[in-house]
Amino acid sequence: MAIRRIEGDLWELPREGRMKVPGRLYSVGPPAPDDPSLTQVRNVAHLPGILRFSLAMPDIHWGYGFPIGGVAAVDLDDGAVSPGGVGYDINCGVRVVTTALPAADLRPHLHAAATRIYQQVPAGVGASRAIPRLSARELDEVLEAGAGWAVRRGYAAAGDDAERCEEGGRLEGADPGAVSERARERGADQVGTLGSGNHFLELDRVDEVHDPAAAEAFGLVEGQVAIQIHSGSRGLGYQVCDEALAELTPRFAGFGPDYAALPDRQLACAPVSSPQGRRYLGAMQAAANFAFANRQVMTGLAVRALGEALGLSDRDLGARLLYDVCHNVAKVEEHLVDGRPRRVLVHRKGATRAFGPGDERVPAPYRALGQPVLVPGDMGRCSWVLAGTERAMADTFGSSCHGAGRLLSRGEALRRARGRSITRELETRGIVVLARGKKTVAEEMSDAYKDVSDVVEVMARAGITRPVARLVPLAVIKG
Amino acid sequence: MLTLPQPFEDLGHTADLGVRVRGATAGEALARLALALGALLAGGGPVTPAAEVRIAVGGGPGLSGTAVALLRELLFRFAAHGLIPAAVEVLRVDEAGAEAVVRSGRYDPALHGEGADVKAVTWHLARLEPEGEGWVAQVILDV
Repeated sequence: MAIRRIEGDLWELPREGRMKVPGRLYSVGPPAPDDPSLTQVRNVAHLPGILRFSLAMPDIHWGYGFPIGGVAAVDLDDGAVSPGGVGYDINCGVRVVTTALPAADLRPHLHAAATRIYQQVPAGVGASRAIPRLSARELDEVLEAGAGWAVRRGYAAAGDDAERCEEGGRLEGADPGAVSERARERGADQVGTLGSGNHFLELDRVDEVHDPAAAEAFGLVEGQVAIQIHSGSRGLGYQVCDEALAELTPRFAGFGPDYAALPDRQLACAPVSSPQGRRYLGAMQAAANFAFANRQVMTGLAVRALGEALGLSDRDLGARLLYDVCHNVAKVEEHLVDGRPRRVLVHRKGATRAFGPGDERVPAPYRALGQPVLVPGDMGRCSWVLAGTERAMADTFGSSCHGAGRLLSRGEALRRARGRSITRELETRGIVVLARGKKTVAEEMSDAYKDVSDVVEVMARAGITRPVARLVPLAVIKG
Repeated sequence: MLTLPQPFEDLGHTADLGVRVRGATAGEALARLALALGALLAGGGPVTPAAEVRIAVGGGPGLSGTAVALLRELLFRFAAHGLIPAAVEVLRVDEAGAEAVVRSGRYDPALHGEGADVKAVTWHLARLEPEGEGWVAQVILDV
């Protein structure tokens, strides 16, 4: 596969065959030509209506259809929406809650506090019943209202949580009527649950501030405790994507020769403006709202549990939502394309929106500094809070990395963990791990991931995002 | 009827789980693929097959599309009702669909806590096709 260096850590996969645009990849070190994720970057470049580049962030790894870490913006009028370009876990995302609690005060009570949260936030395969099963009407409200639904029911760090989420914690255009009975069945009792795999809830310490002005605006103070939550739309979102793909896969070639030429069935898509495209978008937006509500309920449960475990009032705990970002989503956004503003549909599959300073879509308290970009790492090293830049707006449709990116398959991680207790290894470093299964912990061990700091550095060198603060884990809750 | 455990290969997919199985016939390969899903959901825990049901799914495009369709249905039954496929006989498989008799055991967190949280059955690299003297089937499962 032909690859050429553009500058620094930015590489190009030149346009060949029926690719509509070149691929562009930010990479930690030179990309390996036999990496299957590069083929996926090229495949995405075939998407009808794709604009400028098929982009990949430095946490890129092999996905299905799109690579994980892929970004593709398409024209709203003649472009395609691809459910696989969003992924099954619609609006899988992450949020960080800051507190006024010094980590030194938590340390003596760390295990008890983590255990209390672990008991309150259901985790693991098929986790359910964090809150009573929702009626059909309540579920419709969740699908319409997103995070605000949960805030109104008291599940919050503070009353303004929803305003501190990407898109205000609610995607416009959600169509609960487009969410099937099967999706509802899978999701009705899963609001407020963590799930399994790479989902987690962490108690972190703000370890190092790199940008004092932004850190102050974001409420990040060195030595203080933060809560980080990574989860998505659970079974409801998986089913929405699954059904959309099942509908489109046998039919997408019928939308025209550009569609028939797509090299992977997992890229099955429909014109944005077609009935199929609009129906998927309505269902996807509803599932995204479900995910916002899910993380919001967990926030309320975790903040309450932490305060109870430490005997602290809400005021003394001082919990505030810093921000909540989507990692798997397609959104209608306005961007400058070839020097003029255009409304485009941006697919981010394992990527984070990273809007720059001055953008009205960034909440007012952060607007002068750029959007907070939350990048979880692995459970043994660190996570990062970054800020979006103008360069991101110019080069990546306002997008940045979303995590460390996997290096090892789950099977290989298990082989390398054989004979070791990952939980004990982390505990000797002062990190408490509570998990439903040992296997998940082994699959998710640090060795299975790139070093997130390397990934973040690539984005910083390229000017896409600016490091604000590093968080280190104190306690990790896994499914 | 094939029962758990059945052999399957791990494709070494970086983020998700890729499985490949072989069989003398398309039906046998598909049954093994369904049981590979069962094995991953069970996480090595024992599954006692109970209720037997006949499952019919529409299929395509291609035989691989039919394979994906049957596994999608089995995954939904797991997600909604906690049913792990433990014994499978494929009665018919073609591009129009598949019909199978499936005996499932119920998910028990105490026994199956190490099971994979399979979100979906993807179409990426899905196969059900002749290879050598027999048949090969594979899917990538989103976890």
